[in-house]
Amino acid sequence: MLLPFFEWLNALPVSQAIGGSIWVYPFIQAIHLVFLALLAGAILIVDLRLLGVTMRSQPLAQVARDARVWFVVGLIGMICTGIPQLMQNASREYYSEYFWYKMYLIAFGVIFTFTVRRKVTQAAETTVTGKIVGLVSIAVWGSVVVNARLIGLFT
Amino acid sequence: MADFMMPLHDLFQWVSEMPSSIAIRESLFFSPYLTVAHVVSMCIFAGLIVMMDLRLLGVGNMSAPFSEVQKRLFPWQMLGMAMSSVTGLTLAFADPMRFYVNIFFWTKMLVMVLAGINALAFHFITYNSVVKWDSAATTPFGARLSGALSIVMWAVVIVSGRLIPYNWFQN
Repeated sequence: MLLPFFEWLNALPVSQAIGGSIWVYPFIQAIHLVFLALLAGAILIVDLRLLGVTMRSQPLAQVARDARVWFVVGLIGMICTGIPQLMQNASREYYSEYFWYKMYLIAFGVIFTFTVRRKVTQAAETTVTGKIVGLVSIAVWGSVVVNARLIGLFT
Repeated sequence: MADFMMPLHDLFQWVSEMPSSIAIRESLFFSPYLTVAHVVSMCIFAGLIVMMDLRLLGVGNMSAPFSEVQKRLFPWQMLGMAMSSVTGLTLAFADPMRFYVNIFFWTKMLVMVLAGINALAFHFITYNSVVKWDSAATTPFGARLSGALSIVMWAVVIVSGRLIPYNWFQN
């Protein structure tokens, strides 16, 4: 269903230009990883606090509030460096199962973060539910990273 | 080739001829999965280093005193570093001559050393006065400098690491 869209995306002059330069695409990939570090840090500091294994002297809600802005900055950076990579590779990535796993996991992860996880991080201290939410978050975002790396390796 | 590189060249060459190195190199899935694990461990290490650096710069995680951020994140940063080191060393062990001729590999190694020196310098100089600025709204110049250098240098490490597969400067 989306294949015509992906082919159109791939054929855009700007997509072709990204693929035409030997420098642009690799540097976009590299900057994508720098934003990954920021995003991962903002996610992990809260998830580890939810699990009760770091920042224990700080109220959970404060750790979560401090991290939120960096989660958003990291996510925007990931999207801005991710879309050009997709544009250049759209027709190929359409056929990659890992690409689709990654997209579904990101959609789930973002919704989960701004609903369920946001709710449990409003308390001062974590609960059993909070620990489960922290584990789910680590598992989902970890799977995003694994699938992302597999797109490049096995496509 | 510069003379001072010869011992390294010989070491890399010697490792590349070891049966265990050849075995990993020739296995179909080992290296790809190692790179996956290397990226995951990078997330833990660099992610939590950045969280601490933002606190040093005075722009992030400001609700907590610096020493709280530093002490609590340190074990996790070390876990990330251990995982990155094991996966990274194994990757280098499996195909040393591929990395030996790669400018991005050496850039990464050099900047990692500089980032380590920056961290030690911060620990032995600026951190001594932490009680004075632990909960202050602005951090001292030395702290901000260390934080900024750390973010820039680890970003260079990540970028040059990602560029290793692109051999623009090799024949």
